[in-house]
Amino acid sequence: MTADDSDRTMPGDAPVFADATAISGDAMIEIDAVDKFFGDFQALKNINLRVGTQEVVVVIGPSGSGKSTLIRCINRLEEHDAGRIVVDGTELSNDIRNIQEIRRETGMVFQSFNLFPHLTVLDNITLAPRKVRRMPKAKAEALGMDLLEMVKIPEQASKYPGQMSGGQQQRVAIARALAMNPKVMLFDEPTSALDPEMIGEVLDTMKDLARSGMTMIVVTHEMGFAREVADRVVFMADGQIVEVGTPEHFFENPSEDRTKLFLSQIL
Amino acid sequence: MTAATRWLRHNLFRTKRDAFLTLVFGALAIWLIYKTVRFVFVTGRWTIIEVNLRILMVGRYPEVHDLRLAVTLIVLAAWGGLLAGFLRGRQFRAGRITSEDSKLTAARVLDLFERLWIPLAVIVLLLMLSGTAGPWLMVGLALVAALAGRLIGPVFGRLRLGAAVSAVIMLVFAAVPLGMYFYVVTAVGFDGWGGFMLNLFLSVCSIILCYPLGVLLALGRRSGLPLVRLVCTAYIEIIRGAPLFVLLLLANVALGFFVPDSLAPATSTRAIVVFTFFTAAYMAEIIRGGLQSIPRGQIEAAKAVGLSPIRQTGYIVLPQALRNVIPAQIGQLISLFKDTTLAGIAMSLFELLNVSGAITSQPEFRGQGLIAETLTFAALMFWVVSYTMSRESQRLEKRLGVGSR
Repeated sequence: MTADDSDRTMPGDAPVFADATAISGDAMIEIDAVDKFFGDFQALKNINLRVGTQEVVVVIGPSGSGKSTLIRCINRLEEHDAGRIVVDGTELSNDIRNIQEIRRETGMVFQSFNLFPHLTVLDNITLAPRKVRRMPKAKAEALGMDLLEMVKIPEQASKYPGQMSGGQQQRVAIARALAMNPKVMLFDEPTSALDPEMIGEVLDTMKDLARSGMTMIVVTHEMGFAREVADRVVFMADGQIVEVGTPEHFFENPSEDRTKLFLSQIL
Repeated sequence: MTAATRWLRHNLFRTKRDAFLTLVFGALAIWLIYKTVRFVFVTGRWTIIEVNLRILMVGRYPEVHDLRLAVTLIVLAAWGGLLAGFLRGRQFRAGRITSEDSKLTAARVLDLFERLWIPLAVIVLLLMLSGTAGPWLMVGLALVAALAGRLIGPVFGRLRLGAAVSAVIMLVFAAVPLGMYFYVVTAVGFDGWGGFMLNLFLSVCSIILCYPLGVLLALGRRSGLPLVRLVCTAYIEIIRGAPLFVLLLLANVALGFFVPDSLAPATSTRAIVVFTFFTAAYMAEIIRGGLQSIPRGQIEAAKAVGLSPIRQTGYIVLPQALRNVIPAQIGQLISLFKDTTLAGIAMSLFELLNVSGAITSQPEFRGQGLIAETLTFAALMFWVVSYTMSRESQRLEKRLGVGSR
């Protein structure tokens, strides 16, 4: 790491980095004072985070730290118990129409792909645009083929998910999420269920997406990806945001002991 | 040592104990086959079937209304053909089959023959027993109608259909057998008909009605609304706790306590209602099992792409759930078909089993112990239909299993 790099990371100023709400430009996602309980267990404790438009935020942390719960709250796969979540100016409420509006704007990619096994790859991608956005079939299929080109597997369009490798399935899952033309993409450990040789192809797809200007929140254990692609890295432990910073700050010069301990365990 | 002797050695006479078992059970099998063949071709007195064929098949349906029977058979044959063709067209549209699969090859004809030769053989046997030209003509026309339906069906099946149009088509398809039921019974009043036709009508109408009810009950039992869940659960548990026979008896007897005779529906209609409600409860539990087999991730993915709750169920959960439990569903429907004989005993409906017993006390056959012959005939009829249902369900399962996990 050069002196220039460390200058960019505003060295040593711990309180600045712990503030996850400080961003330049417009906020795509605002998370204010969010709590989440599973029974008596508090999974999220007073989470405050803002994600700027076109920003890539990587969330890391030990398992059970609440990072998956956090992004699952954003599209209401989990319901937060306190605080507010605003996606592109719309606050998440209990109204089903409001929830669906937010889900239309947020694509999600799961650890276990969750492709629909009874539909072809192309139908997996076109189902939501056709049924939710009422796109004509021909147009939806053209869009689907474009997306398959983008994830580099157009020849698999008529196959079923069960006939593909894990890496291919996850790329289809990314294409499926993109088909709704979302403003934000949420990735929930997208490479954790993959064989090592397939992780690269999925990460490459995600890097392309980040370069194209997509707003992304990525929960991952891929530190290389975080270092290369993230605008900011958020470190969570025990349901709290412990530290936030640029990758340079985060990997070279973390301020919190908890972060240092975690990094020493995984690197 | 030839291949045949090697096979025998390997499979039947490998050890002394194998040889012993082979000889004992071989002898038993030969004896059973000998007895059966002898019964069918030598000792069996089949005149009673030949003479009573009409009453066995359609009961005391008046001959003046035979045209209605012919029309019904032909319409239902066309319906069946149309349905098969329509479904094939839909599959073609979904990309599950290609035009290559649709070519009329020798292999396909052979496959079709292999699928249907048993029911076809029985139909031909019945026609030969009938001895008149009418049934031949009727069945011939029905075959032509089925073929025509099968050829026209794919044209509709390949069309682009909106959800509303598809729903209407489904309803029309479902309504046809029910319509034919009323067409056939209105001619004679509800109770002047019977025979195997009655068994078939009871089961087909009940199957069509119980299926949607079963799906709704299964979904209701998993509903987030406590009242809906309570009602569905109570319905399922109460109906499943009662013997079918008792329900049929109740429908026959107890209805009179509540409703005047002039308003009460005919016995056969009551039977359909009981079979529908009874089987729906069982179907609901089978389908609930299917629903539970769908991983949570499927629903989460459906939510995440923005599908509404109804669409999550309709496009993602139900198609997979229903496919996962095809064998159990068909088993329940076969069971329903065979249980239609209970309506004969509980409600004195003149269905096949009842007819089989009754004709042995006709003056010319009384006291000759012909019940074995008539029951064998009834068993054959039930077996052929059940077996065909079972075979076709396995085929359906394989078809729909394309791309399964």
